[in-house]
This record gives sequence, C-alpha cells and structure tokens, in this order.
Amino acid sequence: MLKVMIVDNDLVRANPLKQSLLDSGYDVIAHLKDTNNLNDACKRLQPDVVIIDTESPSRDTLEHICVMTANDPRPIMMFTHDGDKDQIKLATQAGVCAYVVGSIENDRLQPVIDAAVARFEEFKHLRSALNEATTKLDERKVVERAKGLLMKQRNLDEGEAYNHLRTMAMQRHTRIGVLAKQIIEAAELLL
Amino acid sequence: MSHQKNKLMKEPMIQIDTGRRDFFKMSAVGALGAAALLGLAPANMRTQAYAAGSDAPEITEVKIGFIPLTDCAPIVVASQMGFDKKYGIKITPSKEASWASVRDKVANGELHAAHILYGMVYGVQLGIGGLQKEMAVLMSLNNNGQGISLSNQLKEKGVVDGRSLKRLIDHENRDYTFAQTFPTGTHAMWLNYWLAANGINPVNDVKNIVVPPPQMVANMRIGNMDGFCVGEPWNARAIYDKVGFSVASSQDIWVDHPEKVLGTTAEFVAKNPNTSRAMIMAILEACRYIDATENRAKVAKLIAGKSYVNAPEEVIAGRFVGDYDNGIGKKWKDPNYMKFHADGKVNFPYLSDGMWFLTQHKRWGLLKSDPDYLAVASKVNQVKLYTEAASQLDISVPKEVMRTSKLMDGVVWDGKNPAAYAAAFKIRA
Repeated sequence: MLKVMIVDNDLVRANPLKQSLLDSGYDVIAHLKDTNNLNDACKRLQPDVVIIDTESPSRDTLEHICVMTANDPRPIMMFTHDGDKDQIKLATQAGVCAYVVGSIENDRLQPVIDAAVARFEEFKHLRSALNEATTKLDERKVVERAKGLLMKQRNLDEGEAYNHLRTMAMQRHTRIGVLAKQIIEAAELLL
Repeated sequence: MSHQKNKLMKEPMIQIDTGRRDFFKMSAVGALGAAALLGLAPANMRTQAYAAGSDAPEITEVKIGFIPLTDCAPIVVASQMGFDKKYGIKITPSKEASWASVRDKVANGELHAAHILYGMVYGVQLGIGGLQKEMAVLMSLNNNGQGISLSNQLKEKGVVDGRSLKRLIDHENRDYTFAQTFPTGTHAMWLNYWLAANGINPVNDVKNIVVPPPQMVANMRIGNMDGFCVGEPWNARAIYDKVGFSVASSQDIWVDHPEKVLGTTAEFVAKNPNTSRAMIMAILEACRYIDATENRAKVAKLIAGKSYVNAPEEVIAGRFVGDYDNGIGKKWKDPNYMKFHADGKVNFPYLSDGMWFLTQHKRWGLLKSDPDYLAVASKVNQVKLYTEAASQLDISVPKEVMRTSKLMDGVVWDGKNPAAYAAAFKIRA
C-alpha cells in the first residue's frame, strides 16, 4: 500500500483529499499543516508520495530530500519524469505538486494524483466563487456611495440617482459597479 | 539631467485609463510603439522585419520571477523606475514562493526569466534532481551579500568562528543541523565550502536540510537548526530578532563571488533574442543605478515593501551599504558588500563563474562524473548577447571570459583545469 503524506495548511482542501484517499485504500500516514518539521517528518515517516501545493515555499525542502536520497531508492519528481504531458499540465493548473520517493509504477500512482487534482480543482472553484461573492458585496457598497454622491450633488432622490447610474452604465457599456467606482474616483479628485 | 531622470521615474505612476496610458507609452517610447505595431502584424511580416535587421523586441511584456531577497533589487528597480520602458519592454516582477517553482515556471514558459541562483541554472542544465532543460544565463545580477549564521545555543557553547565550531562538533557528540536554500544553489555551495575549509565534512559530519529563506529565522528560533546559509536580509534579521549571530559573510569565503543571475531557457533566448537583449539592458541600467551609493537608501526602502522582500527597511539598509555587525560585538565597514555593477565587472557572465558551480556539484556528489565544464558554460552563459547589450550602454566588457580568484582556503580558481580542481579537495562527498 502506498504511503501518502499531505502537506497543506488549508483544511478545506486537505480534509476531503485525505478522506478520498483513505476511501480508495491508500495509507495517508500524515497530514502536515505546518512545515516546520517537514524534514523530520519525511525522515521518520518515509512517505512514498508527498502531495503539496505548487505554490508552497516548502517545495524546496522536498527537492532537497529527493536529491539527497538520489541513490537508494531512486526518487522521481512526477512532473519531470516520463509522465504523461497532459496529465502534468492538468495537475499544474490545479496547483498540485507531487514528490515521489522510490520507484513506483505510474498506474499505482495515477489514482493518488487524480484524487489530488480533483480536490484541488474543487477548492479552486470554491475559492473563485467566494472571490466573486466578495467582489459583488464590495460593488454594492461602492454603488451605495456613488448613489449618495449623486443625490447630494444633483439633488436627486435615491430612486432617481440609481436610475441615473444605470442609464449611464448602459450608455457606456460598462457594469454599474465599475461606473460607480469611476464616479467616486472623479469625485475624490474634483471635490 | 537629474531633472530628466526624475521625470522618467515618475512616469510609471501616471494612472489614467488603460487606453490612454498605452497611448502615452507608444508616443513616448518609439521602440515600444514600433514593437506594439509589429506585435499586431502577421507573423510573416515580423520575420521580414528581423531579416532586415530590426532589433525590436519580439515580446514587449515580460514576467520576471524573483524570490524575496535583497538581491532581487535589479528586477524591482528596472520595473519600478522605468528602466524597462527605455528599451521598449515592460517588466512585471512576479514574487515566487520557492526556487522549485521558479524553475518550473521558467521551464514551462509561465515566467519569461527569473532572478535565480547561479548554481541552480547549471543544476537544471545537467538535470540534477530531475528536471533537465537547456538553460541560459543572460547576466550576473550581483556579487557578495550572503552569509552564514549560527544559533545562540552554539554561542553559549563558546562558538564564535569556524575553528571553535569544529572543536564543538569534534567533542560534543550529537546531530548538528545546517540549512541552506536549494540543493544545487549557491548557499549550499557557500555553506559546504566554509564548513569544509574549517575541517568539517558537510556531507558526513553534519545534517543538511533546506528551508525557504523567509522561514530561516523562525526555524532557528524553534531550534530546528544550528546554523544556516542564506542571502540578506535574513542573516541581519537573525540578529535583529536575537536568535543567532553572523559567523561569516559569503565575501569572506570568496571576495566578489558570483551569486544570482538573470536566467531563462535557451529556447526563450533563441526565439526572443531582441527581448533578451532589452531585458539585459534595462536590468544593467538598474544595476548601475543601485550601485551608486546615493541611491542605495532609496532602493532599500523600495524593496522593503510587502510586494518585494517584506522585511523592515532598517534590516535591509545596513548591510546593503556595507555596515556590518556580527551580533556578538563586532562592527565593521565591509568594502566587499553586495555589489550590483562595479562598472560591469559584476554583470559579465564569466564562464569560469558558471564552471565553478559545476566543480562543486561534482565535489559534493551531485554530479557523478565530470561534465565537459567549458562546453556547458559556453552554452549556458550568453556572453555574446551580454556583450552586445553592454556595448550599447558603453559599459566595458572584460577581454577574458575567465577570471582568477583566491578563495578563503587559499586555493586559486581560474577556470583552466576544472576536473583537476574539483578532484583536488581533500574534504568531499
């Protein structure tokens, strides 16, 4: 059974991955949330595969472990070995990086990588949905401020101010939030 | 002149809407305008233009990766002070989390070039540790300014220098752990060289780990290591945070040693020779700017920002101008502090510099056999392109592609007999 170690401080991403690997019969020997003891953990637990975020600073620590154990057993870094190009691209896009110690055949490794890619992708969608929601919330605040400015400057009531904004946005083919931001910026300069 | 320079520096601050800004760029800088137009032209027309001898950049927007270290300054300054625009390109610095990530992104084209460890470029060229890719060193970015720090625990045991460290390791039997930043990189080689020059075998006598630079100090605080080798400002930071002291600077090991380079792939250079040359010119000019003493404080302030090094300005500023304090009572003015230009001597991609890293890779067992040292360096280091760029800026170019240096142990390196040099070290893997 492959011993998998997950290095990820994001529980929303790591927990489901851990579960799905366990469900598929892999031995998830550790989930490190912080990497202060990464060197020791690798030495003590001897994982076959380490799954880590591509953007983690601790990747260099793993590179070193792979180079230092280069003779026995031979380590491979999945993305640079004779792995399938498309698969590598997929994983990179999802932000998954795997370090593999020892010679493990591709078909034994494949399901681990697939599970990681799936979970990382899911997480990415979740995060972008969250970003979108935050942007919308911010936009609403900006629109409120722009409305307030128009009401004061042009003596309009709230409904009129909003209609005015909407018409202008339509004429300029832009989003109402973008226009509102421009109005506020202009006001900051001019008033 | 200085007035004009000021104006140029302020220009990037102008924030109008994007369309207008593009228009300004095009009218202000003829080359960029031309390049932008060329960018819109069909491919066959572009090829014809090059055949006719145009030196317009093939790509005008370049993303250059960097790691938060004092010596990333040339990339930041070139982009933030508008030196890039002068040569018809726009540099976007991209802060990266690890050297592995820098390597992968340069290799797959996500980054066009990067601030990168000299030895690492050669490691990738020879496929040490996995990825093999034909690489290119466009120029050297800096000399000096790295260092080795030891923990307070060692200080309490009476360690103040290499000799007392050797004595402790010989007499007190426990694991000693030393950290550096990447297995094939420069810090690994400085640390190994320094330990070995003090009679300590870095492979057999101590444990060797890698820790990302911004995490060095925190790791030392929790007792994960006895010492580390890293670029500034992290040695200064260890003193500032009272977790360790400086036992050697990298210039103590080798005065004016090669350190970071502007690296990219051979493929990028082949496809984009004009953009490559423009990058060299913009960054060369940035290096010259940073090296002027009167500009250093301003640059320290700029790179201290959160988007760049993200460390207190005072931690960066001192050693940046040669004010050294080892944290255990010694203060001095180091004439060999971090240099970025020195009339071009810093920036020339000497073949002997690149070859040196290969000799150390061989010495420490990262390479199993001797490579063709000179052939590899001649391929990787872009001497011709650099020479073209430097000449256009009236920066002098050394006549010799090798230089002679004497390192801390008295051994001379001149690039002439690399295999023998690599084999002659008594302490080795």
